Parts: sequence; structure tokens; C-alpha cells
Amino acid sequence: MGRSRALLSVAALIAAAVTLGVRAQTPDPNRYIVLEGVGLSAVNEGPITDESHTPRAPEAARRAALRAAIRTQRITSSGARYTPGRLIVKFRESATDAARLAAVASASRTARIGARPSYANFDVVLIDPADDGEDAAKRLATSPDVEYAQPPYRMHTMFVPNDPLYKPSVTFSPGQWNLPVIGLESAWDIQPQAGSTITVAVLDTGVAYQNATITATVPAFRDERGVLYPALGRITVPYSAAPQLVGAGNAGRIVAPYDFIWDRTTPLDFDGHGTHVSGTIGQLTNDNIDTAGVAFNVKLMPVKVIDSVWDDLFGAPNFGDDETVARGIRYAADNGAKIINMSIGRTGPPDTAPAVEDAIRYAVGKGVFISISAGNDFEDGNPKEVVAEIASRVQGAVSVAAVDRNVTAGDHKCAGTPTSPTCHAYYSSSGSWVELAAPGGSERGFGNDGFIWQQTFDFRLTDTFLFPPSQYRAPRFDVMAVIGYIGTSMAAPHVSGVAAMVMQQGITSPAAIEAALERFALDLGSAGRDDQYGFGLIDARNSLRALGVAR
Amino acid sequence: MKRVLAFVVVLACAAPAAAQEEPAFLSIRPFVMGSQQQFAAVETFEAIFGTATQPFWGGGVQVTQEDRFYVELGASKFRKTGERAFRNTGQTFRVGIPLTVTITPFEITGGYRFHLGQRVVPYIGGGPGWYRYKETSNFSTDAENVNVRKTGLVVEGGVEFRLFRWVGAAADVHFAHIPGILGEGGISKDAGEKDLGGVAARVKVIVGR
Repeated sequence: MGRSRALLSVAALIAAAVTLGVRAQTPDPNRYIVLEGVGLSAVNEGPITDESHTPRAPEAARRAALRAAIRTQRITSSGARYTPGRLIVKFRESATDAARLAAVASASRTARIGARPSYANFDVVLIDPADDGEDAAKRLATSPDVEYAQPPYRMHTMFVPNDPLYKPSVTFSPGQWNLPVIGLESAWDIQPQAGSTITVAVLDTGVAYQNATITATVPAFRDERGVLYPALGRITVPYSAAPQLVGAGNAGRIVAPYDFIWDRTTPLDFDGHGTHVSGTIGQLTNDNIDTAGVAFNVKLMPVKVIDSVWDDLFGAPNFGDDETVARGIRYAADNGAKIINMSIGRTGPPDTAPAVEDAIRYAVGKGVFISISAGNDFEDGNPKEVVAEIASRVQGAVSVAAVDRNVTAGDHKCAGTPTSPTCHAYYSSSGSWVELAAPGGSERGFGNDGFIWQQTFDFRLTDTFLFPPSQYRAPRFDVMAVIGYIGTSMAAPHVSGVAAMVMQQGITSPAAIEAALERFALDLGSAGRDDQYGFGLIDARNSLRALGVAR
Repeated sequence: MKRVLAFVVVLACAAPAAAQEEPAFLSIRPFVMGSQQQFAAVETFEAIFGTATQPFWGGGVQVTQEDRFYVELGASKFRKTGERAFRNTGQTFRVGIPLTVTITPFEITGGYRFHLGQRVVPYIGGGPGWYRYKETSNFSTDAENVNVRKTGLVVEGGVEFRLFRWVGAAADVHFAHIPGILGEGGISKDAGEKDLGGVAARVKVIVGR
């Protein structure tokens, strides 16, 4: 009897494990439920300086590895990651339905044209997830009826997260060194509205923009080392808006939020990156709480296009890839965004992202200025950054490199140190695509004083998957803290914020905004444009002041 | 129009009793003037003010010797508020920050007056000028505002009409070359424009014989 019970128990456990095991792409509508507006306000812990979020931090690598371990994705022989089972295909206008079907059939026996997703000028061709997406795309691309075909290559955030506090103080030594060095104090004198009529879309991991209660089923999973993490089962997760983004006094700040990872209108951030980036763009300022933001009156449009570990564990149906990013850009342009911040990207191969490029050109054509992080891969072979490179070919989109704290306020000079002799942040990718530079921070030679600080989640309560299985537990997204991050992800929002202020000043053409930012940038490095700093460090004051007759 | 032309011809050819008097050895004649100047720095002024043609108002005194040679001391002023701006691929973008330019020329010219008739006196001349240039704008520090004085050169030529015994009018073309103020910064540097001068059409009302 006892033996039977034991066997039964084992069988039940196996059945439960199978039932609760992570299975991708077939979302159970009851697996993830968001009760919007149901939840308490966030607890604000203030600055936390012992949480490390740098480009090379073990935690950052762990998050990426976990996402790869949890979610199905394909890796090409060249190391490129893409979402299996689907292709992004743009047929030529002249292609008849029959020709399209023939082209698709030639690519794969299992291929069929899926319903065109929203905010896409391309179709999605569904293929067997076991098929090689790159091979199928190559076959499709040979058809004269196809403009381009590609697998949806995975995108990721360009940050590099750590962890009030505008002025340095005894209790918080860093201060927000990153704001005065780009001339923001006098820029705020010129443009005190700080972008109040401008909507900035943040294409990222979502934003903590509302209180909510989330019910989700979390299955067991094995991490990248094969360690089994137990199923959490049905959990209730408290979720709060970041009070420094969405305060009681600024109702209406959030415009048209959308989540392309879940295909719904609640782009909640389960990573913290998007909330931090949004803070740099528009953290509530001059309210005697924590930190300041660049264009602190802008409206924010959270557009979630990058999945996080918790999205994956909650069973999100979509990945952050070329498809979601391209759709997100079009969505933002069609829903009133005037500026898009993309602290995201990917490297090649492949070195092209035609769907994303099409979307960027579409958005700029609709009068949207786009700021894209230039990449964090300088010490990883400095490969070409595919999305940032597109920006360099589009007037009205800019790619933004990162500088460290060697840039000094006032004279904007590089005060090098032996450990960091230039202003170039050690991780910031360099290349022909770099157009501007902005503070991205660096811990090397600066420690905590070198980070970019904004309010986001206390990661000790959210990233519980970084703990050993015995300490792994349900996350809570209702405790906020001021955390330091590092990366070109942090540089791009400085440019987005300044662009919002320039736009409020009356310069509405994206190309003209780019021209102003580049014309008035403080030249760093070699004279003129160079591959590390582009045209130089953005200068908010001079960009807003423009020129007189003789000076 | 024909009547006006006939009137001018009659005026020009008439030899009234007063005109037959011997000219004084020295005549001191104060005048007021207004001018419309086309600045040489066309791109710069169009960017800031919308047009490169701007008015100056002023006056001075002219001393003639036997109504042949003259020396003229003139001072005028241009003051206008535009907007700070920048240019990109030929297009101007103004940023809404007021910028006020004040130009105060002080010029000494000398020249010769030709007597073609008793009422019409063409003249040509030239000389040095001293120019004070001030540029101020909101949100600028003292160091960013401009307040400089530079010298330039002037060439002028025109015609004086005697309207009444003690009142004359003159219309002339006035060319000024003023280096050293523009071209060091601002839009003028971007546009490669270094001359604050230009060509002006001036009208003077002169009191005296």
C-alpha cells in the first residue's frame, strides 16, 4: 500500500511537473491575469547602493541566460538568436495572392501565411518550429515576389543596470552628475515646460505605470546550468506604479500604453529597465523626492517590446524580436508619439533588420524623432549594432553612445583618470553608426558614483530567480528604490528628453532636431565626428538656445 | 507721372534768384536721414529677422566748401528684435528666444559735389566709419552677449535736390564694408558671412544752403 502511494505520489508529481512545465507560445488565458488599478501604492525605499547593475555584472548575464533557458529560441551557427516557428516577410505590392502562396510553399512544406499582425507592413509566415528559419527565409527571399524575408531576430535591452538625489550629498555621494554635464540646469530655465506637450514612447520592457494585482501560474524550470527551480504554482503578485513617474498630480501622463509581448494594453514592466529609462526621460522633478528627469513634464507612452524573465515564466506568447520591435515603432508613430526612445537593439549577424528599418523610416516620415542606444559591446569584439546602424542612415533617428563621469560640468571636458583616461564608457560600442554621446555611466574608476540613478524596482524582491532554488519565491513589484544602472540604454533617454525640449521649442522636424543636437553637441575625441562619440556630447542648453547673429 | 517728371525738369532747369547768389565759402548743413539697407550677410539676417533688408534712422551735419567739397559726419541706428535660430540644409529653424541687435554707425565721409544745374547736385564720396554692434538675447550670459566696436569703410554717391531756399533733399546709395564683427560665431559663422555692411538706399532732408 505504502509502495503504491509512493508510486502514485511520484506519478502525480511528474504529472504536475508536465502540466506546470514551461511551454512556449500557446498562452493559456487564465495563466496570466492583470487586475488593473487593484493594488496599493508602492513603497519607496530611496537609494540602494549595493545592488549592482552593470553591463558585465553576473546578474545581467544570468538574466539573459535564464531567458534563453526558459524560452524556446533558435541560435544560428553564427550565434544569432531568433524566434522559431515564424518568418517576417514583406511581399512586393505587385505580388498576387497566388504568387504569394507559391512563394511561401517554395520555402517550406509546412509554411502558411498567418494573419497580418497589427502595426505591421509585413506578413508573418508560420513555419514548423523545428524548421530552420534562416534557411526558409533565404528560400523565400529568392522569390521575385518577396522584398525581404527574415526570422524575427531577438532584441534585448541595452542597459546595464546598478543602483537620490540630484546633488551629491553625505548620504548619497553620486548625485545625478549626468544631468548638469549636458547643460540641463540652464536648459530648464529656457524651457521650463520641459516637454509638457510632447509624448515620448518608451519601447522597452514596459513601465511601472499603474497599480495592479497579477495572478499568474509559474511552472518549474531549469536554469542555464540545469538546476531545477520548483513550480510556484498559482501566485498573486502585487504591482505598483513608480510614484516618481506617475504621481497623484499628473494624471493623464500615460498615453496609449501597449504590450506587444502579451498583445494587450497593460505593458507592465517586470524587469525594471523600462521604468529606469522612463525615469531618465521624465522622472517627476522639483518635488523634493529622490531624483530628477530630463524632460520631466513629457507624456509617456509605454510600449512593451522586450520580454523579461518573469514574462517568460508567466507564459508570455511573444518574444522581444524584430517583429515586436517593428510593430511597436509603428504603433507609437500611429498613436501620437513624437519621440521614440529605443534603449534596445541587437548585433548581427544578420547585419540587417529590414522590418525594423522600414518601421523606423515610417515613424520618422510621420514626424517622430527616434533615439537609439548605440550598443554595449565594445569589449565583446565591438560588432556592428544593427538597429543603431539604421539610425545613422536615417535623418531624424540618432544612435547614442555613452560617456562616463570623466565628463565634467561647466567646461564639458574630459578629466581623465588613470583607470579611465577618456570619457568613453568602457562598454560603449564604437563605429560609423555612432552619432551622439550622452551619459551612460561607468563603475570603473568611479564605483557607485559613476552610475545613472533613477527609480525602479528593488531587485532583491523582483529578481528572486537569481537566488538559489531554496530562496526562490514569488516576486513583488510594489517596492521601489533608486537604483544605479549603466549602459548606452541610459544614454539614449538623455537624448530623447532633450529632443522633447527642442521639439517643445518649436522645432518639429525630426531631421532638424537631429541637426540641432549634432550641431550643438560638444565635440569630444578627435575633431569633428568620430566613431566613439559621434558629433559629441549632447548640450541641452545650446540646443535650445540655437544661434545668434554673431555668437 | 508725366506731370511729376515735368515738375522735376522745371525745378532742375530753373535758375531762381537765390541760386544766382555766390555760394558761401563754408556752409554748415544739418540733416536727418532714413535708409533701407540690404545687409551683405543675407543668410544671417534672414535667419534671425526673416529678411536681410532693414531700416536705419539717423542724422548728422554736412559742411560744404564753396558748395563743391563736403565733409559729412553722420550717425544712425538700427535696432530690431528677432529670434535665435539655426540653419539646416538651407532651411531656417527659429527657437523662439528673442534676440535684439543694435547697430550704431558713426561715419565721416568726404567727397565732391557736381553742379549740373542749380537745383540738382550729384555727389560722390567715401570715408571711414566706426560701428558699434550689440547683440543680446534672453538666457544669455554677459559673456555670450556681444558688444563690440569696429571700423569700416564707406562709399556713397547720390543726388541732392534743392526743394526750397533753405531745404534740400538727397537720395543716395551707400555701401559699407564692416569686417571683424560677423563670421566668428553664430549663424554668420555657419553661413560664412563676415561683413556687417551692405548696400543702403538713403534719403536725407538737409537744412541749409
